[in-house]
Amino acid sequence: MASDLYIIVIGCGRLGSYLANQLSSAGNAVVVVDWNERAFSNLSPEFSGFRIEGDAVESAVLRQAKLDKADLVLATTRKDNVNLMVAQVAKVVFSVPRVLARVFNPKREEIYRRLGVETICPTTVAAEVFLRATAPPSAGVSAGVSPAEALR
Amino acid sequence: MREAALLRQRYRAILAYTGLVVALCAALMLTPLMALLVWPEESYLAWHFGIPASLMGGLGIAAWRLLRPRDHVALTTQEGGVIVLLSWLTVCLWSAWPFFFGHGLGLTQALFEAVSGWTTTGLSVVDVTETSHAILLWRSIMQLAGGAGLAIIMLSAITGPTGPALSSAEGREQLVPNVRQSARLVLTIYTGYTLVGVVALLLAGMSWFDAVNHAFCAVSTGGFSTRPDSIGHWDSTVVEAVTLPLMVLGNLSFMTAWLLMHRRFRAAARNGEVRLFVLLVPLCIALLFLLTCRGLYPSLGKGLRVAIFETVTALTTTGYSTVGYGNWNAFGWIVLIVLMVIGGGTCATAGGIKQYRVYLLWKSIVWEVRRALAPRGAVLLCPAQEGDREVFVSEQRLRQIGTFVFLYLLTLTIGTAVMTAYGYGLKESAFEYASTIGTVGLSVGVTSADTPPAVLWVQIIGMLLGRLEFFVILASAAKIVRDGSRMVARVPPIR
Amino acid sequence: MTVLIVGGGRPLYFLCRTFLAKGHNVIVINDDAEECTQLARRLKVTVICGDGSDPATLEEAGAAGADAVLAVTSRDQDNLAICQLSVLQYEVPRTLALVNDPDNEDVFRQLGVGAFAPTRLFASLIEQRTAADAITNLLPVADGKVNVTEVKLSGDSPAAGRALRDLELPANALIAVILRNGDAVVPHGDTVLRTGDRLVLLTLPENHGPALRAITGETD
Repeated sequence: MASDLYIIVIGCGRLGSYLANQLSSAGNAVVVVDWNERAFSNLSPEFSGFRIEGDAVESAVLRQAKLDKADLVLATTRKDNVNLMVAQVAKVVFSVPRVLARVFNPKREEIYRRLGVETICPTTVAAEVFLRATAPPSAGVSAGVSPAEALR
Repeated sequence: MREAALLRQRYRAILAYTGLVVALCAALMLTPLMALLVWPEESYLAWHFGIPASLMGGLGIAAWRLLRPRDHVALTTQEGGVIVLLSWLTVCLWSAWPFFFGHGLGLTQALFEAVSGWTTTGLSVVDVTETSHAILLWRSIMQLAGGAGLAIIMLSAITGPTGPALSSAEGREQLVPNVRQSARLVLTIYTGYTLVGVVALLLAGMSWFDAVNHAFCAVSTGGFSTRPDSIGHWDSTVVEAVTLPLMVLGNLSFMTAWLLMHRRFRAAARNGEVRLFVLLVPLCIALLFLLTCRGLYPSLGKGLRVAIFETVTALTTTGYSTVGYGNWNAFGWIVLIVLMVIGGGTCATAGGIKQYRVYLLWKSIVWEVRRALAPRGAVLLCPAQEGDREVFVSEQRLRQIGTFVFLYLLTLTIGTAVMTAYGYGLKESAFEYASTIGTVGLSVGVTSADTPPAVLWVQIIGMLLGRLEFFVILASAAKIVRDGSRMVARVPPIR
Repeated sequence: MTVLIVGGGRPLYFLCRTFLAKGHNVIVINDDAEECTQLARRLKVTVICGDGSDPATLEEAGAAGADAVLAVTSRDQDNLAICQLSVLQYEVPRTLALVNDPDNEDVFRQLGVGAFAPTRLFASLIEQRTAADAITNLLPVADGKVNVTEVKLSGDSPAAGRALRDLELPANALIAVILRNGDAVVPHGDTVLRTGDRLVLLTLPENHGPALRAITGETD
């Protein structure tokens, strides 16, 4: 992927921090938002972006993160509803070109996909990986797919 | 993997990165040779730049190639500090070569001049009237590069680490959410200042050579001059008027400059450092003018010019001067000493305790009083303006600042004492050493070709401690000692 | 009308009571088992224990048959999800979300969900201090550009006993409705105002003071 985008990662848990570390090392300008200051300790020493402590549901916090200037927003909190709200706000109010939201509940994911929200459902992705891994071996199917590859 | 082997692996990476930085600085060492094109009579110096540059560069490149980590290695801030310490020491040592072999200085003196260059101090043991142009240019280039910082130089290179370990160890803040982009921006702004400075000084009446050197040393708040009387040589209001804004720009934190460039004037105005500066400068100018300079100089205009220039040069820790201080009264001396101790803006090219720390300590007085007046269960936080946003200052931060200030003043006292032990007067020693650890460069004559080597050594240590802000040196040195002992340990640990 | 309310705490309880009193059928979704038991005991409402923003729970609660859905949880993002799911999946005709962050009122509107911010209302009520009991500021509408105020006419109000056209109301002030003895009357120029009338006054902020003065002789 290009390496000079302005990326905002909402949520600094395991997924958020992993993404932030990778993207920052690749040379992108990364801003991480989390309401809990302790979550930032998940970031590696390589991370050279900015950290914002605040609730992403608040407009003021999103404005502080300069969402209007973002090229990409990744919503990775543990709460589907927060991710969905931030994703929609980013797309509709701040006109961010590309927005991705993690949604755990497959049923919700399906409904929101119809609204045009780009979602990633770890449940279905993991399920597919498991199934592929346990499928009877056939030509061209590799048994191990890393989650990063599956998520791309 | 066992600890010794793990440490060896980490130190291979550390030495590799140190080699990279050192190699880049070696390339810089070849740039003064441009002066030989204009003054071919100085060609004998080509060897004295070429040899150390090649040797230092060769070692650096060798270290990088041989020890470079195969997989990507994430440097911690502590490791960044070790790289900073090792590269600064290496670079300063090799930079002394042209002075030792090419100019005939003693070993201590050559090292002193090199350190004074890289730390942007500006104290000199060299007689500039008898110095070749290439050497003078090398001094200015050292200050320009030292002001930017080795971390910035390395980060702007194409290869190397991608994390913030080095720049945060060297004390550089980030303008944008990516450390490489930020480094490039800082370098761009810095280059911009320099180019504007050269042109402006040319227009003010300096020769090409003088303009280039003085622009380099003003913007880096270094203070080396090509003239023995420094800026006073020209005795020109125009020259002073051009130099002043250059010094202020160099002193301004790059973050503040960034805000101003983006027209966020209100955010910049709320910045604690800016406020301190805006408060302190007019106050000191007024005091100096009324109580010191008024009667000393032939005209009131000159007295005012002196008050303005000397205040700014001391606070920004540049070190250019327009007059000598021998005929100043004690009040004038104390004002200058205080300004030098306060120092410049954080994360800029300046030295001293730094305005941000002084601003926070000042606020902590207010907070203590407020705490005494507040109801018992009240939760009190300590807000301050840093960069472009409000932060809450933790007790730990205040404690660190307090410790830093103590260390600073302790070093100042020791250095002054050493100087007085060698026979210099008390106020001269205090002034000179404040100028040393603040990396200012104003001199009252203690630093000269005749200074005893022991005093020069005390000053060398002072300049390094001041530029690298004490803790990087102390912590990194301690880390090296501890890791070193673990790497060579042959006795198995007690079970 | 069947009203589905998702939320908890006192606001939920009294909302249910209000709707029940008006004769509506109320379904409640709440995620705390203890609270659900209490609600079921006190009110004649259908209580579902679960996450109201989960499509499965909404389906089980009968959102498909609801005429209105009210999302009054303490989290804006959940309220948004509840209303959106109700509309997208079950085509509920009327939805309303409570928002705590007043900035989100506008944001929700841009996303197509009706929202109400009580925090903004409270703030404006406090700001517009009322000197007399006769004046109640109802709400600022249209982002605070229009004030809706209820004014009760007492005996010594200069407006009592006068026709509407004779009042010296400033421009851009309008008496929209007069509440007299429990009836709402839309006035015209000849309507004579009487003591005890409650007037609903529409003003712009700049002429709010003069309009009030013209009617009651007091400023707030």
